Amino acid sequence: MSEKKSTQDWQALQQQYWNAWSDATRQAVGQAPAPATPWHEGLEQWSRMFADSGKQNETADRLMAGAKNYVALMHSMLGTASGKNVEAGPSQAWTDALREGFNLPGADAALLNNPVAAMLRGFSGQGVQGFEQLSANLAPFFAQARQEGMSWLQAPAFGYAREHQEHYQKMLAAFAEYQEALKHYNALILKSSERSFAIFEDKLAERAEPGRQIDSLRALYDLWVDAAEQAYAEVAVSDEFRKVYGDVVNAQTRVRSQIQQEVERIGTDLGMPTRTELNSVHKRLHELRREFRNADAVAEIKALRGEVQALKQALLRQDRPEPSVHKPTVAPKTRVASTRKVAPARKHVAAVVQPRVASKHSGDTFNDAITAMGGSAVGEPTRNKQPGARKKVSAPARRGDA
Amino acid sequence: MNPIRIDPQKALDEALRFNQKLAAGFKSLRALDEVNYGTTAKEEIYREDKLVLYRFKGANKPTAKTPMLITYALVNRPYMVDLQDDRSLVKNLLAQGEDVYLIDWGYPDQSDRYLTLDDYINGYIKRCVDVVAKRHEVEKINLLGICQGGAFSLCFASIYPEKIKNLITMVTPVDFHTPDNMLSNWTRGMDVDLFVDTLGNVPADLMNWCYLTLKPVRLLQQKYIGLVDILDDKTELENFLRMEKWIFDSPDQAGEAFRQFVKDFYQGNKLVNGGLKIGDKQVSLKKITMPVLNIFAEQDHLVPPSASRPLKQHVGTKDYTELVFKGGHIGIYVSGRAQREVPSAIHDWLGQR
Repeated sequence: MSEKKSTQDWQALQQQYWNAWSDATRQAVGQAPAPATPWHEGLEQWSRMFADSGKQNETADRLMAGAKNYVALMHSMLGTASGKNVEAGPSQAWTDALREGFNLPGADAALLNNPVAAMLRGFSGQGVQGFEQLSANLAPFFAQARQEGMSWLQAPAFGYAREHQEHYQKMLAAFAEYQEALKHYNALILKSSERSFAIFEDKLAERAEPGRQIDSLRALYDLWVDAAEQAYAEVAVSDEFRKVYGDVVNAQTRVRSQIQQEVERIGTDLGMPTRTELNSVHKRLHELRREFRNADAVAEIKALRGEVQALKQALLRQDRPEPSVHKPTVAPKTRVASTRKVAPARKHVAAVVQPRVASKHSGDTFNDAITAMGGSAVGEPTRNKQPGARKKVSAPARRGDA
Repeated sequence: MNPIRIDPQKALDEALRFNQKLAAGFKSLRALDEVNYGTTAKEEIYREDKLVLYRFKGANKPTAKTPMLITYALVNRPYMVDLQDDRSLVKNLLAQGEDVYLIDWGYPDQSDRYLTLDDYINGYIKRCVDVVAKRHEVEKINLLGICQGGAFSLCFASIYPEKIKNLITMVTPVDFHTPDNMLSNWTRGMDVDLFVDTLGNVPADLMNWCYLTLKPVRLLQQKYIGLVDILDDKTELENFLRMEKWIFDSPDQAGEAFRQFVKDFYQGNKLVNGGLKIGDKQVSLKKITMPVLNIFAEQDHLVPPSASRPLKQHVGTKDYTELVFKGGHIGIYVSGRAQREVPSAIHDWLGQR
């Protein structure tokens, strides 16, 4: 195809494209972009026309951000489809068109040939908290601080304003560290973008087989997305990325922390409540609640122990020989005391007590639990219990343990 | 052979169609109201702080004798399990005869900043389990833990094995240090003390951003370009918006619980390495002796299968079953395949025990 013919085709396609786009816009919002508007400005115009999308504004914003990039991409690829750039070799031409398509006119130079970074930065919506957003929001403040000749911030601090000066120094240092960390992070994102095109070419080569060829712009874009995700994943699971990501998160957090401290200082000077004070209240409240809950549990355990003790004494009384048989009057007391000290007996008591908490079908009180488990076995004094009898008592409790 | 065969006129038509759909679609978007979610009827059973325990009501009475409690993650809203009428794990479980309860954690605010994993696991979950068990007059209930809620369920089942009859984990991370776990790789370089001390609660927007950047091109751009294809289909558009709402409708994370989760699970990998304590209670997966059904998704980018699979070698039970689902972390609840396969698999497995 001659260069002249190719250019004519391309212009004709562009004109058709523009006319149809204008029609579509006119139908949707009642007006069309000005005829002489370059396509990328037309997109901006479009964004404004669709600015208010009611309750779905957030989604509409994201849709527009994605569509803007995709339309640019299609525009770039249409040129290749018309044969404008095929001299470089078919695959290379499409890759170049794709690469070029991501470079939106007027975009930051840092985003050149770096579509992944462009996507991370371009994602819109309320509350988006990417690394770039915080940096962009704070950059003017720190730039102004530098411009205003705050060179004293570099000097040793002394005198009345010593603390403030030191704090500002720390704040500036934190921001500088953050920007440095962000630079390393962005370098890795750029690496993943570059790698995406290499993987894309490999994937394209695989499509040379009959029946697997790409026949639409969308399919071509989707193939690049697969390549981009693969490239990003390679970078993102690396040890290098772990270090760089950790550094950028930590540096960003230090900047936030420094800003918070400054806001707190101002708040304190103005007699306003601060985050630290509120945290302190919340912490105390939380500790109180824990104490309360623990006290509740302790009280319940204490009550249970009381019940167990009372029960033991009742059992001992039942077990006590008739008055005609002479026994030392202190014996039961001694026996109870010794029973409590013998490990197996305690274990047994614990096993009996457990279902009261764990099992609700046994009833709501300890006595109900005992009854449900077979009063006769429980009725035997612990000190007289034979191994078989003990098993009989504790079996239901163990069911609960299993 | 040239790998690309794009006809210029077809390419132009494709571009025009895209623009026309986009323009018309904005009209549809404007006309749409807020989307609703959670269609299955439910009743509130128990409430504590911001937590609400619900019991779902099916069309018929449950036939299962043991109730099932779903413990969802803290990082998203639990209505994903009952997103809409034709995409509802809960509805399908009810249809199978299960008696389903769900913990809704609510939206923590700064007053919840000092909630710890001890509060969540030994406190909230334990009390919910007790409430459900008491209502049904049973000693043990079935516990279904999802994602982070699955990790919590593992801890709970290890500490209180006497309270759990069967344990089901869905897309649950167990080994946090497998090489393909992107999220884990990122958190391991983080100074989480500085992070929580500075932020207090971790803002939902920050969490969302982190999740989106796991697959930035797909989730920040390709998804919205795909949306253009369905802009003229009201039902599909509402489905998309419902999902979109769920993705971005996230609670902030209680600071102390987040700190501990990142330190002990993501950084320390203590579920696998040992040494995990929740409050004053030691967690050991070996103490999980009840039957376990571990369900995970083959294409899960948040919890890769490699993170879920190791459960088998660490639990104490001999009755361990795995279900590998062909789909992703979200698809396991909402895809058509999920509706057909997951609830019946859970029900059948429970029925055999």
